[in-house]
Amino acid sequence: MLAALGACALAALTAVPAHAAGFAIFEQGAKAQGMAGAFTAQADDPSMLFFNPGGLGLVGKSDFSLGLTEVHGTKADFHGAAPFPGPNASGQQKLLEQPLPHAYWVLPITNTWKFGIGLNTPFGLTTEWKNPDQFPGRYLSTKAAIRDIDVNPTLGWQITPTMGLGIGVIARVTDLELKRDIPAADPFTQSIVNVGRVDLKADTKTGYGWDIGFLDRYNNSFSWGVAYRSRVKVDYTGSATLTQLPTGNPQFDAIVAAQTPFNQKLPVKTSIDFPDMANLGLAFGLSPDLLLETDVYWMGWTSFKEVNITFPDGQLPNSTIPANWKNAYSYRAGLRWTTSPTSQWRFGYVYDQTPQPEEAVNPLLPDANRNGLTLGYGWTGAHKFDIALLYLDFAKRSRHKTFAGDATFSGTYDTKALLLGATFTW
Amino acid sequence: MHRNLSKIALVGLALAIASTAGVPLFAQPNTGSANFGTYVSLGDSLTAGFISGGLIETVQVNSYPALIYQQATAKTTGFEQPLVTPPGIPAILQLRSLLPLSITPAAGQGKPANIGLARPYNNLGIPGSRVHDLVATTTGGLHDLILRNPAFHNTTALVQALSQHPTFVTLWIGNNDVLAAATSGVVIDNVTLTTVASFQADFTAAVQAITASGAKLAIANIPDVTSIPFVTTLPPVLLNPATNKPVIFNGKPVPLIGPHGLLGPGDHVLLTAAAELAKGIGIPAPLGTGQPLTDDVVLDAQETATIEARLAAFNGIIASVGNQVGAALVDTNSLLKQLATSGIDVGGVTFTGAFLTGGVFSYDGVHPTPFGYAFVANAFIDAINAKFGAQIPEADLSPFMFGPPASGGVLAASTGAGIFTDQAVRNLGWIFNWPQSSTTPAPPPRRKHRGH
Repeated sequence: MLAALGACALAALTAVPAHAAGFAIFEQGAKAQGMAGAFTAQADDPSMLFFNPGGLGLVGKSDFSLGLTEVHGTKADFHGAAPFPGPNASGQQKLLEQPLPHAYWVLPITNTWKFGIGLNTPFGLTTEWKNPDQFPGRYLSTKAAIRDIDVNPTLGWQITPTMGLGIGVIARVTDLELKRDIPAADPFTQSIVNVGRVDLKADTKTGYGWDIGFLDRYNNSFSWGVAYRSRVKVDYTGSATLTQLPTGNPQFDAIVAAQTPFNQKLPVKTSIDFPDMANLGLAFGLSPDLLLETDVYWMGWTSFKEVNITFPDGQLPNSTIPANWKNAYSYRAGLRWTTSPTSQWRFGYVYDQTPQPEEAVNPLLPDANRNGLTLGYGWTGAHKFDIALLYLDFAKRSRHKTFAGDATFSGTYDTKALLLGATFTW
Repeated sequence: MHRNLSKIALVGLALAIASTAGVPLFAQPNTGSANFGTYVSLGDSLTAGFISGGLIETVQVNSYPALIYQQATAKTTGFEQPLVTPPGIPAILQLRSLLPLSITPAAGQGKPANIGLARPYNNLGIPGSRVHDLVATTTGGLHDLILRNPAFHNTTALVQALSQHPTFVTLWIGNNDVLAAATSGVVIDNVTLTTVASFQADFTAAVQAITASGAKLAIANIPDVTSIPFVTTLPPVLLNPATNKPVIFNGKPVPLIGPHGLLGPGDHVLLTAAAELAKGIGIPAPLGTGQPLTDDVVLDAQETATIEARLAAFNGIIASVGNQVGAALVDTNSLLKQLATSGIDVGGVTFTGAFLTGGVFSYDGVHPTPFGYAFVANAFIDAINAKFGAQIPEADLSPFMFGPPASGGVLAASTGAGIFTDQAVRNLGWIFNWPQSSTTPAPPPRRKHRGH
């Protein structure tokens, strides 16, 4: 079983999309996904380790879940505006086709103490632009990827037969990659030309945090839960490699080459302060077959102030990408309809507020408020099988403002995605 | 029932027509309380769209006044300028070689292309013009190309502007009132540097005359002329031409010799010094000849301080007079300061005040590139929008960043005579009003006979 978890971890360390508020990803189990993530007060399958570890305290038998969320981008376009890159400029991202795995194992040790371990990908982003050397934002980013897998061992305590508490440790294993083109004013044409590319790769690093959750199944018609995941700061080290692009003018190319450290691995440092998250859920049994849950999620995105990229050996000037994100909420509602002892339909709606101020919207990560609709189905037999579909519609996001001293880059981003989740539990 | 339905359909159709009737096919920009019905620009070479030591139509068509007009009116015709065919008047400078650095004028000379226009131009920016020229000069230099006197009854630029009954005027003047001192390295009151009293009188008179005509105004102040590449490119120490880094001798950089002894920090060596440096002049023996650089290629710290104090006084006058008449004020001084210090980032491209590589200054080290002019146009538009409650869209910078070359550089054999050839220096001296240029004049452009 641990070997399966390990294989899952390797698979997860692949590019994942920016498709949930900021670069957080909530689709970490198909049952919860079917109810748009309104699951904090239910927490009744192993994905509780992500949504509310309080559920672990009430686990009565050993369960193992393995699943995938397939992210299928349907649109990710950019249209420019004046003053730069102007109304004639546009770009398209490579549409994502990305499976994100999750795995959870929960087991009771005694009636009171329970253990669980989860693997999931609560953060990540990939924005990769087509025709990178022509994309109008190429000097800001042609590809940005933050990859993450969380390993989350958790201890559960059954306080009473209806109240559970869970406390876990988070090991966040992550790396990142940033690519862009290097511009220069060609003195012969007095135009801006591509003179090179930067590929910055951070080594895989681990940051640590913790999480806690509480669940109270008060009675058959009401339960509530609350959970919190801490901030995790990760300091990355890695290298940046610069490659030259010839401009067609040998004199100019020679001068660029003399002044730029091409074809070396330049040591680089950066860090990301992943935000904390708190969620509260209330679930109401409307009838023996119908359950409605409403959740509020809060994310402490003020942690994401800026990305500082430093070159400790000084071959290149340090740079700062300002972010100044704000704390943000998402609101989730899910309806669960049990049609037979073996089948359950699920419906959900999510409104997810962007933490990103207008000035920070850029080709690295163009975020927006989102509306999502979900549909899910669960089958229970000897084992359990859950599937869910999320249609995620990003509001069009326009930027016309720029932080003082930051790069002007005006325009509108339009993004839509489908997420198909499937989880098998036995 | 049938009749009711058709009635409803008709009402619907009428509503649909009414709702679209107010929207022109091409969106008319909202100019707020400003009116661009007749727009005239007054100023100097910067207003004319001068580049790389010349006036050339490929750049004039995108002068900042032309861009303001296009953005404010959504029209591409109707704003008349004194266009000049390639290679320009004077012929524009071209980059021949980077190593060694060589900049020469293009061969030949351009011709006026819009000389027959039967009315004054909308763009009355005259290269070399000082504030006093605006109110007093009718002929001489490029005034002849643009004012076309005596055919226009020996009128000044100001009079020609007001004769068009403008509804909106932009004014960017005063650069040449300090520039000649900076680029000639010689500070002489009333010769290379205008006095404060004289500037105050002429500037106030011009602005009051424009305001009295009923036109609304946008006025730009004067950038720090000691921050332009013509002044900042060469350090006061000896450079190794192979690396472009200071030569270190006995652990220290080697200071150059100015007319009053060794140069120090705060002293500026002008681009025009390159020819003397190439001959070893200004370089201590035994590395060079030990002779001092001539006064007109060095702007020492004291001269710089005098120019900067004068510039601050002029900008004080511009702000105060502009505020009195309710003009939109464009702070080009701050723009150049930002450019010279942190640079200005557009889409990840950091534009700086560096010569040749900064992206903003053309080959004469003084005048902007087409990108620089478009950036200035947007600064005007921002100030006009803020002052007059307008929503004029900014100009698209992309074509000026990536577009075809405006003043083509060609890789060719270097002449080896320093950065600028002798002819390039003569052209620059003529256009920048250098005192010594009277002894080495470039051929002035011939004024063409007008068609009427």
